[in-house]
Amino acid sequence: MSSLSMALRLTPYLARSSGSSLRETGLRDAGLPVLAFGTVTALLLTVAGGSQVFWSWSDDIAGTYQALAVVAMVLLIIPLLTLGASAARLAARRRDDRLASLRLLGANSATVVWMTVIESTVLAAVGAVAGAGLYACMAPFLGLIQFRGQAIGSHAWLSVPSILGCILAVCVLAAASAALGLRKVVVTPLGVRTRQTADGAHWVRGLIAAVVVVIGVVAMGMLSSFGAFIVIIAVMGGCFGLALLALNLMGPWILRLRASSQLKRAKRPEQLLAARTVLESPKESWRQVGGVAMTSFVGVFVGVGMAVADTMGPGATDETALLVRDINTGVMITLLGSFLMVACSAGVNQAAAVLDRASTLVALDRVGMPLKLMVAARVKAVMSPLFLVAGISAAAAAVLVLPLTGTVLLTQPVVFLTIGGVFAAGFLLVRLAVAAGTAQIGQVLARPERYASMDS
Amino acid sequence: MNAILHAQQLTKHYPGSIALDHVDFTANAGESIAIIGPSGSGKTTLLHCLAGILRPDAGAITLNTPSAPLRLDTLGDAALSRLRREEFGFVFQQGMLLPELTAVENVALALMLNGTDRGTSESRAAEWLGALGLAGMEQRRLGELSGGQVQRVAIARAQVTGARVVFADEPTGALDSATSNEVLDVLLRSVAANSRTLLVVTHDPNVAARCQRVVELRDGRIVSDSGSSSPASGQADRLAQAAPAAPTSFKGAFNV
Ligand SMILES: Nc1ncnc2c1ncn2[C@@H]1O[C@H](COP(=O)(O)OP(=O)(O)O)[C@@H](O)[C@H]1O
Ligand SMILES: [Mg+2]
Repeated sequence: MSSLSMALRLTPYLARSSGSSLRETGLRDAGLPVLAFGTVTALLLTVAGGSQVFWSWSDDIAGTYQALAVVAMVLLIIPLLTLGASAARLAARRRDDRLASLRLLGANSATVVWMTVIESTVLAAVGAVAGAGLYACMAPFLGLIQFRGQAIGSHAWLSVPSILGCILAVCVLAAASAALGLRKVVVTPLGVRTRQTADGAHWVRGLIAAVVVVIGVVAMGMLSSFGAFIVIIAVMGGCFGLALLALNLMGPWILRLRASSQLKRAKRPEQLLAARTVLESPKESWRQVGGVAMTSFVGVFVGVGMAVADTMGPGATDETALLVRDINTGVMITLLGSFLMVACSAGVNQAAAVLDRASTLVALDRVGMPLKLMVAARVKAVMSPLFLVAGISAAAAAVLVLPLTGTVLLTQPVVFLTIGGVFAAGFLLVRLAVAAGTAQIGQVLARPERYASMDS
Repeated sequence: MNAILHAQQLTKHYPGSIALDHVDFTANAGESIAIIGPSGSGKTTLLHCLAGILRPDAGAITLNTPSAPLRLDTLGDAALSRLRREEFGFVFQQGMLLPELTAVENVALALMLNGTDRGTSESRAAEWLGALGLAGMEQRRLGELSGGQVQRVAIARAQVTGARVVFADEPTGALDSATSNEVLDVLLRSVAANSRTLLVVTHDPNVAARCQRVVELRDGRIVSDSGSSSPASGQADRLAQAAPAAPTSFKGAFNV
């Protein structure tokens, strides 16, 4: 593959040749993807470390724990893929001028794409190693978490090969999603552009989603006939994946419906801009916030359900009571984790989106659009779908456990406070990450000549 | 002649070059002025300083408003931003419109930013689009319009707020010559019909020939100024007479 070898030779040159300008802007722009990959790696290692102890058990109830660990992992992998794609787009964007000039110098498009994939994988590797360090710092505290009434202690430590394997996996996923994410990016000698594709979010998606759910329900119904325990776990994991798939099909459509109605009602400029941003690509919006849908559902469903089980008290065995508490712990950690993933991906996405349309932002600033308003519109375009997705999922779960919620509210308000607290913390995390991403707008406007070459 | 925009001893340096070198310049109300000169002579820099986009290193810029003269070079960022959206209109080569908005929303946004409610903004925006030859295309997005049509949307956006001065930097630079002429026509007529001041940076001798006054820059200095009583002014009067008739509800926008 000649374009690959060319890319391998050129990439270090790209990093070195930029000298002072790399120090000025490159490192700052690189910070966000590295931070994001670091957080994700730390999170993956934490979940893996926290659940490692489950695999050392071999009694009846161990299987339940193992199944839950698989589910938690599935929940976290999908946002990780989104993050990889966003990080690659950011990498391409922040190299805009240099990649474009390489094209001018005759490098072909494949070479340039390879270079970006390599660069984004390097960022992922740096982040993953830092994330592993973060995990190592957290492991002693992780050891304090109790499962089945015992602190997991030294079980929180993963073996060195597992950690290396996880770092490698993050790099591979980053490379793969970078390559996929770059299909949408076109590098021409004139600059880097994101290819605009018509983005349908059709009701057919709702239909397909329904079929997927039926398949899942049937499979779950036949679960007991599957004999071998490992098969049952696999089927459960699969059904869970199917449910996620159904959600992914339906999500963009729901976001589009909501944005259309917001567009009609919009009174202020930022409301109009935010609604149009979501409508421009409901899929993109969904990709940013969809990660919290399933976890919000599971969080409320399990949180409330388990609390109710807990109140049944005397009848339950010790073991069941412990299981109930443990599931609660795990679910809350996963819920927070999924918010963390969404936060990382939203931050990186916003930074990429800002650089993507830097010249438009410069022009809007020149015609007198306040910076505050540009930021407000972007924040609203992320937070509004996030609230909707989390709200719908939580409400759906609440309705399912409605017969129980009333009594729980009376007897155990602390359950609602915990769940509410986790959601509040999650929203805050995402909000902070979006703020970090939109801070790029200020940086773009501070150096307009870098981005506004079109009007001179 | 009453001056609307006045610059005195305007100077702007960049590392290794001087973009504006003690420039004195006055624009009179209702004039159309072409700024010409070779690439790198400081045209864009002058335009940006006069429009409150760039701050000069030295010199004074005064905008005469109905109430009191305003010194642009002493205003803060927020005040300048507000001035740009309330008093000025802009037509750039490209990039000032939002691709995710429809044509009418892009134009209405300029009014909404000044606090006009959405309904009024959109109906006034639609009237402007209609007057500039885009009737029926209000709901199209930018990607569904031709380059010339997009520039008409930009021209509507620049004037819908009742801007007193319109700044254009190579407004037809990305268009073919036939379209370029049409767009220029629309720009000159609509500006003249509303007695606005127009400053247009251009490479195109045709554009310059159709303005009342031509100012030539070289190495950051004004090397020639045809003054406001140039022979071209006759042509501008003709243009004003041929201007599209303003719909009645338009008067508010036209009579600022
Ligand atoms: N942001 C900038 N940084 C450094 N030099 C600049 C910058 N903007 C303009 N210049 C320089 O100032 C001079 C005038 O530029 P400009 O006003 O853009 O010219 P024109 O619009 O006539 O082509 C040129 O020499 C240009 O290189
Ligand atoms: Mg210029």
